[in-house]
Amino acid sequence: MKTLKKIWKHRAHVVMALPALVLLIVFDYVPMGGLILAFKKFDYRSGIWGSPWNGLENFRFLIASKSIFLNITKNTLMYYVIFTALGMFLEIVLAIALDQLVFKRAGKWMEAVLIIPVFISYTAVQFIVYAFLSSDTGMLNHLLGKSVRWYSNPAYWPAILTIVKMWNGTGYGAILYMSVLAGIDPQLYESAQIDGAGKWQQILHITLPSLVPMITVMLLLSVGGIMHSDTGLFYQVTRNSGALYETTQVIDAYILNSIFQNSNFGFTAAASFFQSVVGTVLILISNGIVRKLHPENALF
Amino acid sequence: MKDMSKSSAQLRRHKKIPPGQIVLLLILLAVTMITAVPILLVFTSAFSDEQTLARNGFSLLPEVWSLSGFNAVLRYGKQLFTSYGVTIFITVTGTVAGLLIMSMFAYSLTIRDFPLRGLFTLILLVPMLFSGGQLSMYVIYTSVYHMKDSLLLLILPICVQTMYVIILRTYIAGSIPEELMDSARIDGAGEYRTFFQIVFPLMKPALAAVGFMMATMYWNDWQNALLFIDSDRKKPLQLLLINIQKSIEALLSNRNIPPAALAAMQGRVPQYSATMATVVVVIGPIMIAYPFFQKYFIKGLMIGSVKG
Repeated sequence: MKTLKKIWKHRAHVVMALPALVLLIVFDYVPMGGLILAFKKFDYRSGIWGSPWNGLENFRFLIASKSIFLNITKNTLMYYVIFTALGMFLEIVLAIALDQLVFKRAGKWMEAVLIIPVFISYTAVQFIVYAFLSSDTGMLNHLLGKSVRWYSNPAYWPAILTIVKMWNGTGYGAILYMSVLAGIDPQLYESAQIDGAGKWQQILHITLPSLVPMITVMLLLSVGGIMHSDTGLFYQVTRNSGALYETTQVIDAYILNSIFQNSNFGFTAAASFFQSVVGTVLILISNGIVRKLHPENALF
Repeated sequence: MKDMSKSSAQLRRHKKIPPGQIVLLLILLAVTMITAVPILLVFTSAFSDEQTLARNGFSLLPEVWSLSGFNAVLRYGKQLFTSYGVTIFITVTGTVAGLLIMSMFAYSLTIRDFPLRGLFTLILLVPMLFSGGQLSMYVIYTSVYHMKDSLLLLILPICVQTMYVIILRTYIAGSIPEELMDSARIDGAGEYRTFFQIVFPLMKPALAAVGFMMATMYWNDWQNALLFIDSDRKKPLQLLLINIQKSIEALLSNRNIPPAALAAMQGRVPQYSATMATVVVVIGPIMIAYPFFQKYFIKGLMIGSVKG
């Protein structure tokens, strides 16, 4: 009764929160229930409830079709590791470089230019990549004086996608680290200088340690998305070309394809379930570990 | 360039610039230029001549400048204007609605003695850790809600973003003095008036930052359009761009077309400068809006990154 009275006192706040809560529940929470599809033999006409249960059949199918499932999982994990490791490294290097630069106005300009790519959609990026890689009109073949058929050889694509991703996200990612660097007390650097520490020593002993909490938070957040990929990159930039699937198809792109082809719903539902659950379990585990070691850096 | 020489001159007055700084500056300039090249390429090839481009390939400095690409874009005619209209409608509606809905939500999460605060925060955070995934969203939206081919699906599902609510909440809690809200309440303003007349107007910097990110998110969203939109009059720009690419591919891969006919068509199939001109038309508005919002969203991101 007492809590109800308290809530009634705050009815205005409930009303203000309501639209957001309704949207979250309708468009995020209800689809979580859709994961039961993984345990059903889905038939579009009978809907989710009407479709019959079929236990773990979909998962057996998933494991039986080893090659596809292993391949998309392998690709998803491979790109997660490359993008996270290289991306974080480049973002931190860029942030430190811009922070160390004494030409502040020039730094601001360069920062502004470096962020732009993240605002270009992958549907547009796809055309830009094509301008570089098209076998007869592309800039790259012109520069190399060769006629490499980039779009038919999967071996090139891990490198191509990594370059595109780094071009796209590094400038934007660096801002977060720069905000931390901007908050470092300048006196720390000054007293280090007096003690005779060089630039590199200052970076090693003052700059890098101050970034550790932010690095931990970013890593933890990224672990939750370990099974998810930047779908546009893998679906648009590769032109969804079947010849490249071997090295470019990730779980998300596979699911998108099977929605369009209206096929393999059981398999896809099982893969989707796997994707959601693994991500969540991993983030819970890694957050638990961080909380044990450095409680102040944990997410929750 | 001008700013740079100026700031270095200023610095020289104080102390000598170490050579390491010059090296650093040159490296960063090179990185910036490499980042900018692909974007420049879009603009230069959009303004180059189709035939020369088809013959000699893409280049940063076109040999023959021309507006033929943009003429070809106008040939999409009505569909281009329809798509532009759809994209603008989605972007404006989604951004305005999203900012309002998320700000109200963020505000309620800053009220100290609000008994439901913990529960609501939990509801906000869980979607960041766990989601139903694309397939279940697709099935629920189309077979349970029956919303296929509805523009609402391009607006509502991405209208409330956990990250942005956190940024707004952190901003309200950290940058708007609580005394201001308290004195409004003491003066007899209800909660709605306190929010709309005191808090909301003071949130401008955070709203500009989140607003720009929301607007680009809506402007660039292709996946929901590709999944849900069928009819031409509801096609946003990104979907038009995908369709253009698909039709070029279909044309070029169609082996039934005799080579002579294909060669004759090459000049007319809007393939190179015309598609780049379309890309310019699609990304142009963002490029124009970007400088105005740039300083706000760098600030906004910095606010959001402070763990709240």
